[in-house]
Amino acid sequence: MGDAGVVRALRRNAGFLYVLPALAFVGFFVIWPLIQLVQISLTDTSLLGGGKYVGFENYSKAFEDKAFWRALWFTARYTVFITPVLMGLGFALALLTSANRPLQQITRGIIFLPVVIGIGSSSLLWFWLFDQQVGLFNKILVDIGILSEPAVWFTKVDMALIAVIISITWKVIGFGMLLFVAGIQSINGEIGEAALIDGGNYWQRVWYIILPLSLRVILLTTLISVIGSMLAFEQFYIMTGGNPRGQTFTSVYWIYQNSFISFKLGYGAALSIILTIIILVFSSLQVILSNRSPSQ
Amino acid sequence: MHMPSLRQAIFAAALTSVALVPGTAFAETLNLWARSSSSTAAQHMIDLWNATHDDKIELTTITDNQMVTKLATSVQSGDVPDLISFDLIFMPDFMKAGFLTDLTDTLGADPNQAKVAQAFRDLASYDGRLYGTGFTPDVSILLYNKDIFVKAGLDPEKPPKTIGELEAYAMQIKEKVPDAYGYYFSGSCGGCNIFTQAPMMWGSGATLLPTSGDAPALEGPGVKEVLTMLKNLWEAKAIPESAEADTGSNFFATFETGTIGMVGSGGFAISAMKANHPDMNFGIAPLPGIADGNQSSFVGGDVIAIPKGAKHADLATQFIQWQLTDEAQLEGLAKNLILPSRTDLADNKYFQEDQRYVVTAQAVGIGQTPYAFHFNDMVNADQSPWLTMIQTAVFDGDVDGAIEAARDAFHAIAAQ
Repeated sequence: MGDAGVVRALRRNAGFLYVLPALAFVGFFVIWPLIQLVQISLTDTSLLGGGKYVGFENYSKAFEDKAFWRALWFTARYTVFITPVLMGLGFALALLTSANRPLQQITRGIIFLPVVIGIGSSSLLWFWLFDQQVGLFNKILVDIGILSEPAVWFTKVDMALIAVIISITWKVIGFGMLLFVAGIQSINGEIGEAALIDGGNYWQRVWYIILPLSLRVILLTTLISVIGSMLAFEQFYIMTGGNPRGQTFTSVYWIYQNSFISFKLGYGAALSIILTIIILVFSSLQVILSNRSPSQ
Repeated sequence: MHMPSLRQAIFAAALTSVALVPGTAFAETLNLWARSSSSTAAQHMIDLWNATHDDKIELTTITDNQMVTKLATSVQSGDVPDLISFDLIFMPDFMKAGFLTDLTDTLGADPNQAKVAQAFRDLASYDGRLYGTGFTPDVSILLYNKDIFVKAGLDPEKPPKTIGELEAYAMQIKEKVPDAYGYYFSGSCGGCNIFTQAPMMWGSGATLLPTSGDAPALEGPGVKEVLTMLKNLWEAKAIPESAEADTGSNFFATFETGTIGMVGSGGFAISAMKANHPDMNFGIAPLPGIADGNQSSFVGGDVIAIPKGAKHADLATQFIQWQLTDEAQLEGLAKNLILPSRTDLADNKYFQEDQRYVVTAQAVGIGQTPYAFHFNDMVNADQSPWLTMIQTAVFDGDVDGAIEAARDAFHAIAAQ
């Protein structure tokens, strides 16, 4: 091949060459570990040894593992409860703070602040705030008359779930708010002005203009939130420890228990693959819905 | 090709000869991994060694719950530390997995090894071979608040000697002292309860954890009695409601509030109480059993061993043998009010000023540690059979059903 041929070939494959570094990165850090995970899931690998090929034994065992499915069901419940809270509150805060005036900007900064705190630290903070004997949260609830005496939050599954939802909402609400603010600010201002001239009040503008035109951002934020909730671990590990009686184990918590407490890496890998597939299916559905939504 | 000059050749030969002559080796630096909860004690020992030896030791602190993963990964990759100090209950699993160096010929012949608490010697042996020894022990004891005892009309110098007395005292405290509770335990922490409730069972004669799928489990006197005692105290509200959800975070902190009469705790509590609550009047006693004389404890803390493939195994062995000498045990541990692993040094000059240390150190001698594979699965896991048994028996009130279910689960795990 002559010089001209080389140049032509390079031009033809220029796009591929540009994405090659990114492809190599994804291949090395995502695809290759995923392949290894699949390989491990087909063995009886333990932290203490093993590694014999066992076919799909781990998968068939997983389908009979009631604790895993119970954990998955609890994770789904958690996701269903926390997602509307995060979306609704996040959107409401975005409406309140979307203008670029100093007060709104400062408020945005304050609300976003907990996002930069590690989830482990924030969970530990809330664990003590909810403590029956020294918890400030309990004291406030008693002082304002909502509770007659300090509550033990982590002996009832619903109370434990509410406690975790409160802590996570405080921790991540700023992230959703920021995405919504970006969405709202990207709406052409002339549309709102036209609605104002036509006599549309504030709520009509929110309902008929801002909400529909933010739908793609809402779906994207929902997708991120749902995936994050389905992978919940630290908050339950630190705040509930799976209690009461293992009823607040999440899927990832159960995978952790099997992999690093029971040392069953092969089985833990199989559970991880199953969870990945479940999340992938639901995420794909959301992406399809997202693509059908109107754009500006 | 570049040829070496005569001067270079002589210099190289000199270096080689120095390296080959015994006794002229350069000072080495060894790496010791210790879990975070025992790293302070390990550092005292290391400081003492470094002050008196040419070869130095560096400490690397590993988060408690990452120790197994780190050791397993390091052994499999061949990049291991020279010494490792870890929770002694993992010893059977690590020895069986072949992670550790056989020390039978060296440490086994050391006369000081025979003076180490029996629990450590048992836990560090597998198939008749020795793989480690005690390093920084801790032991479970009964901690009680003398002021609350006085308020309840109990003699503060007479802690309970049986679980019957313990129950009666706890009930009396609940009845006589407003806002105080008789007893406390972390109801959602398997590890805390094997440390503090199990000794009351095996001290009474029970066998708890099976070593194989058909070995005895939860058999003998003590299991039902201790669970029934806890159930009675729970039902009488002599245990705070928060105990049910405590995953171990309040294992010690609740006693520090000054509202708890008695609690199973560890030897570490003495120094912590003296430092944080110098005004609180507290006592130490062995954990009781069914009858007087059944007192026992859980010998916990860390063993020290050499991972297989360690680069400086000989020096590491020297350190392990040195840390059992009188000098190391007394000046490295006892001087810092840390328990020695040798039982003959329990009553030493540093503990004399406070008899509570002596009582605790003596508990090392009467204590046990269960020898079981899959200990994590059976006990430490967040929903382990051991923990489920306690929760079902105490909080749900089904003692017999709880024992039966846990026994089956133990056997299923031990058979793996």
